[in-house]
Amino acid sequence: MRKQFFAAAALAMGTALAGMSAAAAGDTLNFGCFSYADTLDPAVLTNSSWCLTRYGIGECLFRFNENMEAEPYLCDSYEVSEDHLTWTFHIREGVRFSNGNAVTPSAVVASIQRVYDETDPEKGGTGAATPRTYMEYESMTADDEAGTVTIVTSKPYADLTGRLAYPCFCIIDVSEEEAGKNIGEEGPSGTGPYVVEEFAADQYVLMSANEYYWNGDVPFENVQITFVDDDTTKAMALQNGDVDMVENITSASALAQIEAMPDQFTVSRASSARTGFAFLNMDGILGNETLRQAVQMALDHDTMCNITVGGMYIPGYSILPSALDYGYEELTNPYSYDPEAAKALLDEAGIVDTDGDGVRELDGENINLNYVTYTNRNLSDFAQAVQVYLSQIGIGVTIQTTDADTNWNLISAGEYDLGDQNWITVGTGDPTDFLGNWYSKSESNFGRYANEEYDAVYESLLAELDTDQRKEDIRQLQQILLDDGVAIVHGYYTSSMCSSKAIENASIGIADYYWLTSEITPAE
Amino acid sequence: MKQAGVFLKKNKSFAVFAALALAIVAVAVFAPWIAPYDPYEAVMTDAVQAPSAAHWFGTDKLGRDLFSRVIFGTRTSLAAALFLVAVISVFGTMAGVAAGYFGGMVDSVIMRISDMMIAFPGMVLAIAVAGIMGAGIVNGVIAIAIVSWTKYARLARSLVLKMKNRDFVAAARLTGSTTWHILWRYMLPNVIPTLIVTGATDIGTMILELAGLSFLGFGAQPPVPEWGLMLNEGRAYMQTAPWLMLFPGLAIVLVVVVFNLLGDSLRDMLDPRNE
Amino acid sequence: MSKKQLIRRLFQILIVLVGISFFTFCLTYLAPGDPVRSMYAATGTMPSEEVLEQTREELGLNEPMLVQYWNWLSDCLHGDFGTSYSQHKPVAELLLDRLFPTVRLALLSLALMLAVSLPAGVAAAVWKNKPVDYLIRGITFLGVSMPNFWVGLLLLYVVAMQLKLVPVLSIGTGFEKMILPAVTLAFAMSSRYIRQVRAAVLEELNQDYVTGARARGMKERVILWRHVFPNALFPLITLLGLSLGSLLGGTAVVEVIFSYPGLGNLAVSAITAMDYPLIQGYVLWVALIYMALNLAVDFCYNFADPRIREKRQVEG
Repeated sequence: MRKQFFAAAALAMGTALAGMSAAAAGDTLNFGCFSYADTLDPAVLTNSSWCLTRYGIGECLFRFNENMEAEPYLCDSYEVSEDHLTWTFHIREGVRFSNGNAVTPSAVVASIQRVYDETDPEKGGTGAATPRTYMEYESMTADDEAGTVTIVTSKPYADLTGRLAYPCFCIIDVSEEEAGKNIGEEGPSGTGPYVVEEFAADQYVLMSANEYYWNGDVPFENVQITFVDDDTTKAMALQNGDVDMVENITSASALAQIEAMPDQFTVSRASSARTGFAFLNMDGILGNETLRQAVQMALDHDTMCNITVGGMYIPGYSILPSALDYGYEELTNPYSYDPEAAKALLDEAGIVDTDGDGVRELDGENINLNYVTYTNRNLSDFAQAVQVYLSQIGIGVTIQTTDADTNWNLISAGEYDLGDQNWITVGTGDPTDFLGNWYSKSESNFGRYANEEYDAVYESLLAELDTDQRKEDIRQLQQILLDDGVAIVHGYYTSSMCSSKAIENASIGIADYYWLTSEITPAE
Repeated sequence: MKQAGVFLKKNKSFAVFAALALAIVAVAVFAPWIAPYDPYEAVMTDAVQAPSAAHWFGTDKLGRDLFSRVIFGTRTSLAAALFLVAVISVFGTMAGVAAGYFGGMVDSVIMRISDMMIAFPGMVLAIAVAGIMGAGIVNGVIAIAIVSWTKYARLARSLVLKMKNRDFVAAARLTGSTTWHILWRYMLPNVIPTLIVTGATDIGTMILELAGLSFLGFGAQPPVPEWGLMLNEGRAYMQTAPWLMLFPGLAIVLVVVVFNLLGDSLRDMLDPRNE
Repeated sequence: MSKKQLIRRLFQILIVLVGISFFTFCLTYLAPGDPVRSMYAATGTMPSEEVLEQTREELGLNEPMLVQYWNWLSDCLHGDFGTSYSQHKPVAELLLDRLFPTVRLALLSLALMLAVSLPAGVAAAVWKNKPVDYLIRGITFLGVSMPNFWVGLLLLYVVAMQLKLVPVLSIGTGFEKMILPAVTLAFAMSSRYIRQVRAAVLEELNQDYVTGARARGMKERVILWRHVFPNALFPLITLLGLSLGSLLGGTAVVEVIFSYPGLGNLAVSAITAMDYPLIQGYVLWVALIYMALNLAVDFCYNFADPRIREKRQVEG
């Protein structure tokens, strides 16, 4: 009798719990993703603006299509002067922010202006976003009558539309801030399909449908985004039915497991124009050219890409993905995998192990590279593999695994020898900005690299408006970086979006800025 | 020799567990001869292989032999735990004996410091200390030592207080024995058995704490073969390669069980209440 | 506790508090790296050495250590624990946010633990050296020997993934999210408590008053539940206080595994982010909570103990 009672109680409890854990009702979309920012203020961190466009909160004047070409979005047409300095954008009529306010040209200017002001120390700005890297302007004026915004840039840009499609310039209602709203904590009102209801940094975002959405129906009443840092947990949450979709499961084995159940899950994959790489800090011990060359030769990228990270990356030697049209085939890689040659090179240069501890010395000290990485998109797996390969040629590596922000801060501050990143190389539709990371006069020269030839070609690229010549410049720049071995190129990342059969049309595109779109709908 | 035989016969359970513990120590000491591979040797092309005749416990994500790493892990965990227990018991006992015997200022200072340390819940401060000093097995040991010595100090102090006013101590003092002599000759020998029991039971706890610290990433750093770290690395393969999580975990449980049982049998043997 | 003892105790506490705060201050004062650079690095900027120096001056970082300590302490006493580098919010606010989930988890796991360990401990004592006792002791042995993160992962795998009884994730701190972490925490704790309860009950059963009561023909069940059980339970209060104290610190490992938004998880991410003000605030807070709890247990014990002793004497 008693046994039966317990059995019944256990069963009842089990059912009750199971009921609770089942995916939410049809009007709610559950999304599990990595947390890239603790604030939703686009001026505080560039990552915050990415969150806005990824979560379907904010939108830009332009939007990237499947081929990474910017198309008019909140702007419906534009004109540019002969000298590529004066740009006039006509703002789409009838678009409203999620709080009901109209998106007027003045509102657009105020929104873009704010990112500049909040990141300008001279105006008391403390934000870390970097709008100036994408666009430097002389003036920005709104003509509400004509419905246009006119931007006069400080220098000619071959194309400004891709830059304005960059999430940093997503359009939000800044008048709310004047009314006392904390944009970072409560989330701004944008023009996207969803509106932030509640944001708990590094825990969750609750959103509801934007009743003023301009571009069709909003399919879900509510969206719950749960932040999951751990990759395996993400996969388990999807399999368990806790969430309907998750982005970028980067554990190859977990992803393969989900792909093996096509009747339950849909997996969308796309080559992402992302390069996984580690900056080499030229201000540190890696300023030594021989050492740098030996490091490059010691690494077996094919094995790392295909086995260590299970094919999540496509191997390649250039800093720009081989799939992009920037002359990858014409580049020559001076450093193929050859650990013996690497050892010989070091021996020849007198960088040898004199005290017999298995680690070579440089200037009397053991070579111990400080490798900063973080657990995102297999980067920390690469770091461990690199550690193994370098130990095989007698170079010590200490790995420091932190969170994304800290990793970034360490790299910005130059407190590293090898610093992992995984970046979209053509963030604004073109790799110019990305290549600026090695331009010695740039603020974003994180590798502390200086090469006059590179600077000269880069400057000519900046001024060049001719498409073919630009491609040629970009090819040259890649070759210089390759020769100087300024980065360990891990490979080119393949991104993914996995979803359950409860929803449809969840996909990932080459531009990694759009995750929650209004195209994602409940399954029929 | 004969005496030892009689002793072991009388304390069978102790004999058994001591033998097991010695076997574990032997595994640690002779790890290079037991392990079929170098625990650091990564054959990247053989990553994440299931257990087989060539690799009894399979291989990890860098193609290292898991069995060899588990065997070498005994070295890391055991050495760190034994060292840790030795340090905290010696230091804690000295502090406790001093506090109990001298009383007054010495007692107050030592006991207040110990109060302070007790207020910081162990693991938390250990993580903070390890996090700030930089992660690493040595810093992990230091961090745990900082928060763990107080137990021994309190124990030693209370034992000394009980004995301080006994006749034989008073007699020794009257006959002009030096303080050192009294501490050495009378106090320590009476304190040591209890502390050995505590120390033996603590070995298991310390192995668990060190593993926890490494699991969180504040203890041993890759590529050191350490069980907690191996569990952390294996966690990503929980569903597809469960052996990566299973074997290091079992190793921890096995070693901790043996040392806990050894501690218990020591207590049964040495505890005066059992006589 | 006499009035004199009370004052003495309070004085001791004051000293310990000062010690704790000083130690906490030293933790970050002695930490490697330059706090000003970390502060700027957190905003992604790299100011010149002059600006750095100026900021140091403004923040009083060039003052002697004791002056800095005093400034920091007085800020803390005014409730200002500084601003987190990584989350750009006041430390006190961040800690408060996490306190409630941690308290809920702590209470639930304590309740679970007591629900298991009291009956099991008594059973093991009553049926000493019988199969039940051996079985219970065997399980407790495994319980104290298994790393809690391993138990947690196994539970996650079996209960959430295979049986699908609980979610792997859930937003915020809903009850279903607390089940697995609470069970994991209760598992190891129960093992320890079962042994304690067993030992305490056994000791109590050997007391004279039990023999007396038996001689007087009192029913075994009455002796056990009316007299032995309450008396045996009492010493556990101290232990419970300690357990609650360490649970309130946030059990880092378990909270991390289940991504539970408690204090321990916050501490771990603060340390990963090298967010010194947050680490400092956290350590100080937890130490204070712990001390306050211990004090409460002390008082509780001192207050109740004489009566218990009296009762025992009357019955004996």
